[in-house]
Order: sequence, then C-alpha cells, then structure tokens
Amino acid sequence: MLFLRKTGFWILLILANALLLWSSILMFDSSMEGLALSLIFLLFIVDFAFLHPKGYPYRYTLPALGLLLVLTVFPIYFTIKTAFTNYGTGHLLTRQQVIESLLKEYVTDENALPYDYRVFMRLENLHPTEDFLLLLERSDVFYLALKPSVKQRDSRGNVISASTSIVPFRNDQALIGDSTYTIIRSKQDPERILSVNMAGPTDARPYSFFFSFDDASTLPNQKYFISEVFAAYLEKADFLGPEEQVLRFGTRYGFRKLLESRKKYGLDTITVEQDGKVTQRVVFVNNLTNRPLEESDGFFYDTDKDGSRTIVGGYSSFVGLNNVFQMFTDSRLSIPFMKIFGWTLTWASLSVLFTFTVGLALALMLNNPRLKSRAFYRTLLIIPWAIPSFISVLVWRHGFFNETYGFINKFIVSGLMGLEPIRWLNNDFWAKVSCLIVNTWLGFPYMMTVSLGALQSIPYTFYEAASIDGAGRGLRFRKITLPLLMTSIAPLLVGSFAFNFNNFVGIYLLTNGGPEMPNSITNAGSTDILISYTYKLAFEGSRGQNFGYASAITLFIFLLVIAISSVNFKLSGTFEEVNR
Amino acid sequence: MKRVFVMVVLVSALFVSLFAAEMGKLTIWCSEAQVSILQKLGDEFESLYGIPVNVQQVTFGDIRSKFLTAAPAGEGPDIIVGAHDWVGELAANGLLLPLDYFTGQKRANYLESALKGFEYGGKLYGLPYGSEAIALIYNKELVPVPPSTMEELIAIAKELTDGELRGFVFNAGDFYMAAPFLFTAGGYVFKETAQGLDPNDIGLANEGAVLGGNLIKRLYDEGIMMPGDNYQIMDSLFKDGLAGMIINGPWAILDIQSAGIDYGVAVIPSIAGKKAKPFIGVQGFMISSKSPNHIFALEFLANFIDQKEVMYKLYLADPRIPTRADVLALVQDQPDVVAFAGSAANGTPMPNIPAMNSVWSAMAGALTQIINNLLTPEQALQEAVDKIVLALAQ
Repeated sequence: MLFLRKTGFWILLILANALLLWSSILMFDSSMEGLALSLIFLLFIVDFAFLHPKGYPYRYTLPALGLLLVLTVFPIYFTIKTAFTNYGTGHLLTRQQVIESLLKEYVTDENALPYDYRVFMRLENLHPTEDFLLLLERSDVFYLALKPSVKQRDSRGNVISASTSIVPFRNDQALIGDSTYTIIRSKQDPERILSVNMAGPTDARPYSFFFSFDDASTLPNQKYFISEVFAAYLEKADFLGPEEQVLRFGTRYGFRKLLESRKKYGLDTITVEQDGKVTQRVVFVNNLTNRPLEESDGFFYDTDKDGSRTIVGGYSSFVGLNNVFQMFTDSRLSIPFMKIFGWTLTWASLSVLFTFTVGLALALMLNNPRLKSRAFYRTLLIIPWAIPSFISVLVWRHGFFNETYGFINKFIVSGLMGLEPIRWLNNDFWAKVSCLIVNTWLGFPYMMTVSLGALQSIPYTFYEAASIDGAGRGLRFRKITLPLLMTSIAPLLVGSFAFNFNNFVGIYLLTNGGPEMPNSITNAGSTDILISYTYKLAFEGSRGQNFGYASAITLFIFLLVIAISSVNFKLSGTFEEVNR
Repeated sequence: MKRVFVMVVLVSALFVSLFAAEMGKLTIWCSEAQVSILQKLGDEFESLYGIPVNVQQVTFGDIRSKFLTAAPAGEGPDIIVGAHDWVGELAANGLLLPLDYFTGQKRANYLESALKGFEYGGKLYGLPYGSEAIALIYNKELVPVPPSTMEELIAIAKELTDGELRGFVFNAGDFYMAAPFLFTAGGYVFKETAQGLDPNDIGLANEGAVLGGNLIKRLYDEGIMMPGDNYQIMDSLFKDGLAGMIINGPWAILDIQSAGIDYGVAVIPSIAGKKAKPFIGVQGFMISSKSPNHIFALEFLANFIDQKEVMYKLYLADPRIPTRADVLALVQDQPDVVAFAGSAANGTPMPNIPAMNSVWSAMAGALTQIINNLLTPEQALQEAVDKIVLALAQ
C-alpha cells in the first residue's frame, strides 16, 4: 500500500513537472515569455512544496498561488510591460516576425508568361513513389526540373524552403550532372510525351508520365500528386533558371502554373554616417526600386521616388516613457481631465454615501425584532443584487429613463405631475443623477447585508445600559451603533469607493459616458469617469487600438487609487483595531 | 489539487495545439450559417486533392478578436468568414493575404460596391458573398404607397402621427442609421482615392452633410421624431403596428413577419432630388497571411467558393443580398431582397480603415447634439470633424 502511494506520488509529481515544463516551452515557442517564466516559477514552488521537508505547509497554498500567478501577477506584469511599448493596431507582430514576412514577399511581373508543367514519376510495382521530376513548358520550350532538395524545415517537420534548378531541353535532351535526360514521345502522336528517360553512370530507369492539369486521363493521380508531392516538396520550392530567374508557385495561379517571381525585399549592407561616425548597417532594399526601407517608430516604410512613404510592416517595440509623456502632453487627455477626475471622485464618494445610507437604514429596520416576516423583506431587498447588473442597467436605461416612453417621464413626471419631461440621459445634470440613482439601486443590498451582519454582532446589553442611563434613541445610535458598526464596515466602504472609482460597467452601460461635453475637442462625456474615458481614448478614439497607451493610463489610475485608498485608510483608522 | 493543476496545464496545452495552423490542412473559421455548406465543399476538396478541410464554427463576434490574437503567433485558421470593415485593422497588422488572382472576368462577376468594401490600400483582401444595407420598411395598412422623396415622407408622417401612432421613426442617434441623410446630398466620411480612402479628407461637415443634419433636426422640430427614440422603440413600435415607416436592415424582417405586420420594403426616399446613399456592410472570405497553406487556401476560394451554385447556397443559408451578379439575378422573385439590393446599389461601403473607429463615437456625439438641440447642425458636425482630425493626428 505504502509502495503504491509512493509510486503514485512520484508519477504524479513527474507528470506535473513534465507538463509544466512542456507548456512553458510551448509558451516560449509562441513568444509568450512572461507566462512561460511564471509557469517555471510555479514549477519550482511545486517541487519545493513536495520535495523539501519544510515545504509541506505550502502544499495547501499551491492552488491559491497558482491562480494568483496566472490571474493577478501575470496580468500586472503584462500591463507594466505593455505600458512601455507601442503594442496596438499596426504593432502586433514582433520585429522578427515582420522581417520574416517581408523576406517572404514575392512580386511577379503583370505580363509575365506562366509555365505549365507535367509530372513524371518512377513507379514501383505500378505504385507511385516520391522520386519524380517536372517537365516545364512555356512557348513550346521544355525545361527539366528535378525533385527539389529540402533546405529548411520548421519545428513540425514541414518544408519551409526547398530548391531545384531548371534546365532547358535541346533536341529533347537535357544534361544535369552526369546524367542525360531524354524526352520519349509517342510514335503515333509526337505531341504526346510518354516518359522521360534518364541515362546516368549508376542508375537508368525511366520516369513515366504521371500527372498534368491539362490531361484529364491523369485525373486519378491528382490526389496523390497534390497531397504527397506538391504539399511536401513543391509548394515552397524555388526553381532556379539559367538566367538567374526564379520560378515559384504563387498566389496568382495557385498550384496550376509556375511564374517567374522575385523577392520584393532583399537584405543589403549600406554605409551610413551618423554623428560623424561611419558605420555599416544591414537594411532592407526594395528590389524593384532599389531603395532601402526606412525604419522608424516601429514601422518599416517603403519610399517611392517622390519620397512619399507607405507602411509595409509594423512591429511592437520598446518606446520607453513615451506613453507616459503623451499622457501629460496630450491635450485630448489633459483638458477634460480635471472635470472628469472631479466627477469620478464625486461619483465614487456619493455612490458610497447613498448606498451605505440606504443600506444602513434598511438594515436598522430589518434588525428590529418587532418587525414581522423579516426574512421575506430581506429576500425582497436582496433582489436588485441578485439580478445581473447588465440586465437591470438596461432596464433602467430603456424602461425608466427614456424621455418619451420611459416609465418615470411618461407616468410620473408628465402623467401625474404634468411637468415638462425630464431629459434624463441627455442633460449633464440629470444624466449624473440617473447614474447615481442606478448605482444606489444596484449597491444598497450589499451595504444592507454587511450592516445587518455587523448590527447583530453588537451586544444588546450595551443598549440596555445606555437606556438605563437615559440615552435616547438618537444618542444610542450615534454613540453605540455607529462607532461599533464603523470598525467592521469602514474597510468595506473604502473598498466600495475603490470599486466605484473604476466602476466601468455602471457608467458605460447606462450612459456610455454621454451626453457629450459640449464644445469639447475630445469624445469626453459629462458622465465619463476616468476608466471609461481612457477606454474610449485607447480603444474607440483613434487609429485602431492602442494597448500601450491604455496600459500606461491604467497604471496611472492604479497609482491614483492606491493613493486615495491609503489616505482613506489612514483617515478612517481602519485596520487599527485589527492590528492592536 | 494536483489533479486540478494537471487539468489546467492540459487544457492550456490543448488550447495551443487546437488552434495551431497545420501545413497540408486547411482550417476555416465561420459562423453557424455557413458551416454545413463549407464542410460539404471541404469534403469535395479533400476527395480531389487529398488536403483535409476542417471547418470550425466560431461565434461571429469572436472571429475577429480571436484571429487577431492567434494569427500573429502563427496559429489560427487559414480562411476566415467575416465583415468587410475588419479588413483595415487586419490588413494594417499584416494579417491578410491580398487576392492577386482576382482580376478580369473573375472581378467583373461581382458588384463593384461589394468589392470596394474589401479593398484596402488599393488591394483586394476578401471574396464577398453577401451584402446588406438599410432601407425604408413601411406598414402597408398605414402607408399604402411608400414615399419617393423626403418631402413626401414628412407629409405622410405628419398626417399619420397622432398620439400613440407614429408616422416615421428611426434611430437617428446612430451614425449608421443616419448616414443616408448625411451622405445623399454630398457628405462622405473619407475621400476615396486611387490609393484607398484618405483619412485627411473628411466630408462630414460639408454642405451636403449639413443639409442632412438640418433635415434630421427638422424631423424633431416638426414633432415627427421624439426625443428618446431609439432602435428598440422603433422596432417595437413597428411590430406593434404603431409606426407607419421605419428605417432598418434585412436582419429585422424575420421578426416583423412573425409579428404579423403587412409590410413592404422600399428604397429610402430621395433627398434634394438625389437617390439616398446608405452604408453597405459586406460579408466575405479572407485568407490569413500567416497561413502556411496560401496556395491551397487560394485554390479553395477561387475554384470552390467562387461558383454560382455555392454562392446561391450561401445566400439560402444566410439571406443577404448576393454580391455575384448572376446570383443576384436568381433572386429577383424575392421583393424584399430586390428592394434592399436597390438600396445597396446606391450605397457606399462602411470605410474599413482603422481611422473609422474615431468616427463612430464623434458622430454619435454630433447626432445627439443635433437631436437635443444643443448645437446647430453646422456646429455639431464641424465639432465632430474637429474631434476626428484631432484623434487621427495622434
């Protein structure tokens, strides 16, 4: 039994090690170094916990540690890392990936004549092999191409580059190395080519006609040719011609014809003079215009003879503190910033105040032993909390606040009171009021629940003693209930403040930040809080997405929330009770 | 615990291998409507060429974002089915393969407006199969003959509007819906040039756009439109038989039919004597530039999907306006399709360049200000243009 347990333990541990190592290698392979490093770190902790005698207690914290690493530490690391790059639309790939893809770009001449081809194959017991050659044909001239030799394979074993040369036939004969290849034509119909004979010093067997797209009788061989021959050898192959031309299968004719193609960009070294020093640099050169590519701001630019630039590739690069500088010099951010910051503070503090007041009042009511069927009321009052806020916010927005058809305007404001309809979501003041109403509705059940718990922990004897001393209801509330409640609730209030400071959903779903600030030069809205405004700036407000900039702003907000929260903690004396 | 942990690792490893692009095997991401057709075509492809085709169903809204994460890492599908306005972002990131083969007669088979939607920087990046545009949908009981000019529409709407009953409702706060008003008399988002759209030439505050803005304002001033009107209200009013005319797209038709409304579809009435010009959205097939199987993907696109019968089957499965002229001719017996096609024929594809991001929010702001009478249309539209220019100057 013990033996079994031991073996099981080791097998599981080795398995966990192997899997962690393997997945971190996979992560490295797909250039996710951060995640890979976290996994390796986790691997060390796992081994420590299970192998080291002192590590025993850590076994129980492993799940939490694992989740902490993957869900908290890694995102924070990634955000910080991204804040110093220009990662975003146009800058998603790495520089290496862009270089590789530029080197893979081919151009073909618009009017170039394509080459047709037929396949000849050596058969073994009538079965096709992988020993084949191609007969290329263009304008009645035949060329011979042997099976391409593989130059490079990727990690999965797929061919990524291969090459062969093409040799023209003269009088149906071509010489490659020591071997002579002869075209054998049908006697009845000299146009039909039956096979290509090879006569070499060691080996002399014919290659028989196997497949051509123009010959319907070879259709049964198509499947074999495409999947076993074309996909394995020809798709990425360069066919090098006698006049330095390169034939490839390209995107114009697919696998049907070959076309002369050239690499669009090549590498070249140029001499540059910079700060008086002469250095050699490797640059890309456009083979059509012979101009080097310019590289700046994480882009490769191709320039034409008029000097106008087009982007040919962009990569994610380190930009240092640029994003941070931009945050302070960007007039789009700095001008409405104070307004939005002010509203964010108002919104967060009023939200806390209202939810807490309403929640506490209801909790006091529910805490009264003379109230009948308290459980029923409590259940009812928790409902706003139980309904997903996505649903209730939309009900508020469309069902209650709509100017013409909304419940409040239609039945209460114009219906009962006969007043002008209130422009709930289209007037800055009323839009702010709507936001607070909805957030209070969503938030009070939480405050009520925690207050109720805290109230029940206050000993009844305190109240008895106070009333014997002649304290009234108000005094008892101020002197006993509130202070005792605060010790346990204050940290939650600070937490609630921090949450509402970044309550993106509450704002974005209800008003989407609107109404627009009039006469503003940005898409800032009157109810935008910092997080929704930066979301708009980073993801909706410019050329595509700008993750780098967004990360920098996020870090800034993170620092703000830390500062405000620590001041709050200090002021409210929270945790002091706990520390004592 | 260990088991949980091992599971996590296994799942993540599986995730990586599931999405890996493989050489010699085509992977297609598409939404539900196209799966069975493409799988059948894929089986045919495999029996002819021995190259297996794996069709994966991905929620339409997720295809773009998943592709954006997977493709740069060399993972992801070889072919995706998506909307034309993804092209700008995907091509700017170097993730799409230009379709060079698509020239001459192959191009002529398709409606030019649909092809234009898939062009970016002067190159074609997608094979369109269906398009859509908004049109005027009217309740035949309330409006027997649809108006052909905006003046007629206003007259009919005024006469009909009475208490609960509304003559004309549309979602004026949404730039997509309001576009025909702004574009018809000469407004445009970005100027079209031979190199693609020019983000430095914005025509959203020119004379034609302002004329359209004033027309929207007039609809509110004359009590035809109400503050607070939005898409949901328009939709439910029409389905309850309480709206005479609305502006909406083909996606709304099924619901309207099942609500039992006797409806008709017509082109949006002309403005200032010109045919209305709505936005067009086009759906199509795109090839990943990071795919190791370019040649097979192209073959699949050029010789399997680009066929009259296949395009017709795609239309039956996902009834958008066919973009192949000979397929469009096959559906002339469908009055709704013909009407929507008529509306699209004069439309302009939604700009696909990434700069469009900043236009949506700025224009939504301008329209809100026009609707709520906070600024004059001239001011509101000019402010929107200033915002767009500023956003793009970054």
